[in-house]
Amino acid sequence: MMTSNLDKSDRSDGDRAKARAYVREFIPAMLAYCVVIVVVLTFGDLDGSSPWRFVWAVLPVLPLIGVAVAVIRHVRRLDDYQQRLNLQAFGVGFAVAMGAAITVGLLQSAGLSTRAGGWIIFGAGMAGWGVTAIVVARRG
Amino acid sequence: MKNSLRSLREAKGWTQGALADRLEVSRQTVNALETGKYDPSLPLAFRIARLFDRAIEEVFDPDG
Repeated sequence: MMTSNLDKSDRSDGDRAKARAYVREFIPAMLAYCVVIVVVLTFGDLDGSSPWRFVWAVLPVLPLIGVAVAVIRHVRRLDDYQQRLNLQAFGVGFAVAMGAAITVGLLQSAGLSTRAGGWIIFGAGMAGWGVTAIVVARRG
Repeated sequence: MKNSLRSLREAKGWTQGALADRLEVSRQTVNALETGKYDPSLPLAFRIARLFDRAIEEVFDPDG
């Protein structure tokens, strides 16, 4: 087609700049999270009886705040249309997480014993977010 | 809502990415505008009209 050169799907300079800014903020926070997780699992004695183990257990939340800030700043840099697509993905992720939380809660009230309940909810929510983000990005 | 964004852009010889940079939006957004999947906000519609030196109703057809 005559206009194919003008319709190429390369990202714009602005898109690349936003992606670079996101990576610059997200990767260090994620690396910090990985380091803290390894340190906590190695030295935290989470299966022990010291009350300090609870402090160790929540330490990975600190770098996760950095991850959350990176995501929020990224979303704020997006234009209206991209924010709308992201809102759909966040909405589905939230709904899936809430559905998973209720399901796990009901199963636990019926006697199901699992220590992974929080991780199941987290995984379901992230999967809902991720899959929807891919679908709406392709559709958009 | 139909619009003439694609033909206006092509008349200038711009890629979607080049137009996106001029409008300070993503290439994905330009594509969504051109394919009618997204109706722009009023500020963005004004930016588009100004960029091509047209009135908004010359770029966007509310009856389309």
